Formats: sequence, structure tokens, C-alpha cells
Amino acid sequence: MRDRRPILAAICKLAAAAVLWQPVAAAETLTASVIVKDAHYGEILYSFYQEEYFPAIVRTLVAREQQLIDHHDAESELLLGGLYLSYGHHLRAAEIFERLLAGNVEPQIRDRTWFFLAKIWNQRGYPEKAQVALDSIHGDLPEAIAAERHLLQAQIHIDGGRYDDAIALLADWKGRNEWASYAQFNLGVAMVRSGRVSEAELILDALGKRKTRSEELNALRDKANLALGYAFLQDGQPEPAKAALQRVRLAGPFSNKALLGAGWADAERGDYRNALVPWLELRDRNLLDSAVQESLLAVPYAMAKLDSISHAADYYLHAIDAFDAEGERIDKAIARIEQGALLDEFLAHDPEGATGWYWKLDTLPDGTESRYLYHLMAAHEFQEALKNYRDLRYLARNLDRWRQNVEVFQDMLETRELAYYQRLPRIQASLAEADVEKLVTQKLDFDAQLNNIERSSDSLALASRAEAALWGEIAALEHTPVLAADIPEAEEARNKIALLKGVLQWQLDASFKERLWAIRRDVRLTGEALVETQRARRSIDKSMQKEPETFGGFNARIAGLTPRIDTLQTRVDATMAQQRAFLQSIAVEELRAQQGRLATYTVQARFALAAIYDLSSTVGEAAQ
Amino acid sequence: MLNLRTIGWAAVVCLALAAIPAVNARDSVGAMASVATGVNEAAPRQLRSLDEDVQSLKEEVLALNRDLFLLEEELLFPANSQVAFFISMDVGEYFDLDSVTLRIDGKDVANYLYTEREAAALLRGGVHRVHMDNLKVGEHELVAIFTGEGPHVRDYRRGATMTFNKGIGAKYLELKITDKASKQQPEFVIQEWE
Repeated sequence: MRDRRPILAAICKLAAAAVLWQPVAAAETLTASVIVKDAHYGEILYSFYQEEYFPAIVRTLVAREQQLIDHHDAESELLLGGLYLSYGHHLRAAEIFERLLAGNVEPQIRDRTWFFLAKIWNQRGYPEKAQVALDSIHGDLPEAIAAERHLLQAQIHIDGGRYDDAIALLADWKGRNEWASYAQFNLGVAMVRSGRVSEAELILDALGKRKTRSEELNALRDKANLALGYAFLQDGQPEPAKAALQRVRLAGPFSNKALLGAGWADAERGDYRNALVPWLELRDRNLLDSAVQESLLAVPYAMAKLDSISHAADYYLHAIDAFDAEGERIDKAIARIEQGALLDEFLAHDPEGATGWYWKLDTLPDGTESRYLYHLMAAHEFQEALKNYRDLRYLARNLDRWRQNVEVFQDMLETRELAYYQRLPRIQASLAEADVEKLVTQKLDFDAQLNNIERSSDSLALASRAEAALWGEIAALEHTPVLAADIPEAEEARNKIALLKGVLQWQLDASFKERLWAIRRDVRLTGEALVETQRARRSIDKSMQKEPETFGGFNARIAGLTPRIDTLQTRVDATMAQQRAFLQSIAVEELRAQQGRLATYTVQARFALAAIYDLSSTVGEAAQ
Repeated sequence: MLNLRTIGWAAVVCLALAAIPAVNARDSVGAMASVATGVNEAAPRQLRSLDEDVQSLKEEVLALNRDLFLLEEELLFPANSQVAFFISMDVGEYFDLDSVTLRIDGKDVANYLYTEREAAALLRGGVHRVHMDNLKVGEHELVAIFTGEGPHVRDYRRGATMTFNKGIGAKYLELKITDKASKQQPEFVIQEWE
């Protein structure tokens, strides 16, 4: 008996954790105890529990090939699916899950597996497959998963531009957990996008007024208020827009956009003096933020409206300088990214052995360009591509290591082969000297002699060396001529000799069976040893015959594996280069978008400044 | 003079969209993120195509690793002489494992220090192959010395010994750490993995 562990629960958690940032609590209800019956299965779990997915998959494949985990056949298949999923090899994971789903699986597990599949497919950019997986769920899912499933379905509708479907789906949703808040937000956004601002208002307003201690939900509330505020602004309703925007926390991550919007709400009502309050607050904030950039134009715009023309001109000049300086910094950042330094810096602190789909870049490295790329961290494509790049780096290191190891294997094999052929003549000579067949013949002779002795009850034949010598002495005395004399002393001596002989004979006869048994036992043991020797000899002969084949087999395997390593190394390098180029293009595109926005702002500022100068010169000329 | 309101509204629309994304900080679905970041529309297609290449490479490198592992094991530890030593833990309430030293026939062959992560994996039911060796057919003596933290946060060092017979074919030995509740002490057992 081995340790009882909730393996299935762990696998379900693994699958759940791979698609959510936190495992779905309901997955724990799938608990089932498993006895680790095969050491190698426990070994796979050892890697799995350390989140070392690549080695765990390889160990599973090896153990299955060697039939070392036969007691865990079914579990290892499920585990393998989970490992592939966590490793980010979702196509294979999906294949395994689909195969399992085709079999006899409990409906509960079946539905959950479909749900995990839907998450995988959508996460990896296969919404149509995700939809098929969602449609395959027929039973009721546990509350937590059901809520997420609902949200996922809505998200697929929203991503596909089917806003009405999303609205219809989310409008009926009575979910009460935190997923409901996200769904409400998504619903509100979907409604704004489809132009149903008044319907969105009710939902986003309720969400924007919700009191919570959760930082996560506070951030969501800020987002709802921001979205609502801008929706009102777009709809020409500045007053409710301002009310919503003022609910956004000043210290939160969305305060810049809220301050900008609040200013526009005042400006919309013609209250430029009040509009200046949030805009001037923005002026001292980080220029990386587009809201701050826009405030540099909004402030002089309001000043111009308040007839403070010279101040407005100064602010425009300041804005132009700031935009130019920022544009130059972005130019340098683009150049650095194009040189290829970005990705290595991103992954500089990533542990070498790390792989897996859980991973997400949370912090950007210090560097000129990093500060411009915060938006990228939220981008699905960027994070997914970065994960792939990271996995490719792992594959490249793995192949490098094997390349070196295989060279060592080859050297080792050559040394072993050389040593074998050097020793072979000596071994063959020793074997030739050892005549096992002669020993066998001798043993058979012994057997025949013992049979004769037994048949004739020749106890003297089994006498010890001392007994035989004694018997000889007695026999010699018997034949001494002096003892043949007919005198009392000679008769007495003859009687004593007869007595001695009789005693010795009696002793030999009495122990005959015991002696015979002991000798037969020794001969039998000798026979067994001879059989073992013959077997060993056959084994040695076979080994000598087989060894060249074994060397040949290993050499052929090494010869076959080496080009596979080389080919894969080339392909990994090429794919890494493509992946790097893709990531760089996303990053550069992001920077170019920022640059484009700055360029537009600069043109607008210059245009506004020119207008002010025109106005000033016109006023000057009129005054003259 | 230029009416900046038009510029402002263009930006407002942009910002409104930018404010919406990252729907759910916990949710990796993040489908609207592309709107926020300005990632071009071709990016998902390109990502998908590259992803398919990466998936295919992963599959092939995994298969290659399987073949290389098999070669390595057969070359270094042929089945006839192979002996593998595994460490496992059950419960672990009375013992936090730090290290294990293995001595075979009087010779130190392995000295393994466990990280917290590894010890945790053992506690959850993982089994660690601490050592592999090639041994001749016949009797051998194994001594395992476990160090760690025992009951009452005290340093703990205990040994376990076993004589085992190596026949033809691979042999697996399990060094098991269990809790002896009656004595509130850990127990160290060496046994053959059946």
C-alpha cells in the first residue's frame, strides 16, 4: 500500500488553474483517492507537483513505453492531458481530453472537461472550437464554473461582434458571485458598443455605485464608472458623465482618464474654469499616459476659451516641446526593440527550467522602452506569444543539453567497445582452459561409483582416510607370522586384533547410510554448481555473440537521434526568430501608435498656436 | 481659432475604448485587450500560425526526449544490473526532510539536499528517484541516513539499514518516511517496491 492522495483533484485543479488565475473551488469536489502502486507514477507526480511539466510529460511517455505504470493506465492518461494543458501544448491536451470524452466518462467530469477545453480553445484563439466545446456541455455545472462558463460564452459573443446575443445571454443571468460583476460590466460595454447607452446606463451605474472592500472589484467599479462617464459624454450628457467620472478613485489606475473626462464634461457645459481644475491636475502627471498627453492640449484650449490667449500660447509651446521630447524617446525605444534586446530583458530573470501556461509577465524590466510597453502586458497576443517564446527558449536549451549528452554517450560507447575487444581474447583463453564438460563426466563417474558402493554395501569404501589407514594396519597385523604361533600370548593378540577389526567394521557399517547421504548431497551440490556453470558459460557465449549486436544497436540509435536533434535545433531557432520578430512587431506597433498619437497632438498644438498668432497679429493690426 | 473640441472628442472615443478593456483582471480571456493596445487585426492570425508551429515543435521535442531518455537509461543502467532508490513520504507531520544520504556496501553513493518545493512535492504524494546504480547479482547492504527537523522543532538524524538481494532484472527500493502516531515520531523504513 502506498500513499493515498487526491490525484484526480489535483489534476482537475491543474486543468482549472491553467485556465483561471485561481483554481475553481468546485474542482475540489472531484476528489478521489489514488494509491501510488508504481514507483514511476509517483515519480511523475513528483515533477508534476513541482510544476515541472516538461520533465513530467517526458517521464510519463518513457514510463508508458517501458510499461512501468501499468497500474495507473487510466489515471496516467488523464494526468498526461492535464500536463499537456499546463505545459501549453493545448492541441495535444485537447486530443487526450476529447479521446477521454469519447469513452465512458462520468457526466460531471465530461461537462467539466468540455468546459476546460472551451477555455483552452478560446484562450489560444480558437473561438469556433471553444463554441463547439461549450455546446457539448449538457448537464449543470457547479455554480462557480457555471458562472464562468456564462461569462466565457458572453465573451465569445462579444469577440465575435454578436452583441445582441451577449446582451440576451447576460441580461437573464442571475449569478450572484463576483463573476456577476464582470458579466455586468461586459454587458454594459456590449450595450454601449451597440449604441444602447440608456440600457447600459442602468447596469453600469449599479455596478459603479457598488460598495466593496475587494481591490479587484474596486478596480472594476472604477472601470464601470469610467466607461459610463465616457458613454454619457458621447451621448451628449455631460452632467451624469461628470457624476460617474467623479466616482472613480483619484489614486486608482484609472484616475487620469477620469480627470480628463471630468474636464471634458465641464467644458461641454461651457464651464472652462472648472474644466481646468482636473486638467491642470493631470499636467503634472506622467506624460506616458495618453490622458496626460491630451491634457497638455486641453489646458490651453480652456485658457483660450477663457480669453487667456498668452497663457494658452505658452501652454501650447510647452505641449509641443513635451511631445517632441517624448517622440524622440519613443524613436530610441523603437530602435532598441528592433535591435532585439527587448525579449532577452523581458525574460532575464525567468528561471531556466521554467515552462508552462500559468506563467504571465507581471513586471517589465527597467529600460527606456519598457515604460512604453505597459499596455502590451494586458494584450492577449503579446502574453501568449511571449509564453511561446519562453517555451522555445526552453526547447533550445533542452536540445543543446541533449546534443552534448549524446556526444558523451557516443564517447562512452566507443570506450566500452574498445575495452570489450581488448578483454575478449583473455576471456576466450580463460574459457577455453575451463573444461566444464570434463567436470561433468567426472561427476557422472562419481554417481556410478556411489551406486556400486550402495548396491554392494561397501562401507569400507566410505571410510575416512584415518579409518582406512587403521583398517590397513589391522589387516597387516592379522598377517603377521608371529601371531600365527600356537601360544596363549599369540591367541590373546589375535583376539584383540579381531575385536578392533570388528569395532571398526561395526562403526563403518553403522554410519554407512549417513556417509552415503552426505556424499550424495555433496555430489548433488557439485552437480548443481556445474549446471550453473554451464548456464553461465552459455550466457557468456551468448553475451559475446550478442555484444557486438548491442554495440551496433546503440550506435545506430545514436546515429538516428543525432540528426533529429540537429533538425529540431534548426527548426526551434527559426521559429524562435519568427516569434521574436512577431513580438517585436507588436511592441513596435504599440510604440508607433503612441508616436502617431503624439504626432497628431503636435500638429493640433501647432495649428492652434498658429491660430493664436494669427489672432494676435489681427488684433495688433486692428489696434494700430 | 481652432475648436479643440473636435480633437478632444476623437480622443474621448479612443479613451472610452481604452478604458473598457482588460475586462477582468483575473480572466485570461482578455479578448478586448487588442482594442486597448492597438495590436493589429492580423496579429491573432499570425499568433495562431506561429502557435501551431510551436505546438508541433513541442510534440517532436517531447518525442525526441522520450527516445533519448530511453537510450540514456539503457546505456547507463542496463536492466540486468539496474537498481533504483526512491524516497517517499506519508503524512510528514513529525518530520521535515532536509537531506538523505545513501551508502551501498559501505560506500557513499548519494547525498541529496531537498528544497522546500521538492519536500512539498514529496508530502503531496510524489516519489523521488534519489539514486540509480548498477549492482552485481547477490547480497548488498543499503544504509540510508535522513536529516531534517523532527518533533518539537529539533534537528533530527536517523538511519535505516537493509540487506537486499539483487537478482537478474531491475530492482526498485523504496525509502519511506512515515509518521508513527503512537510515538509521535517519524519512522524510516526501507522496503522493496513490489
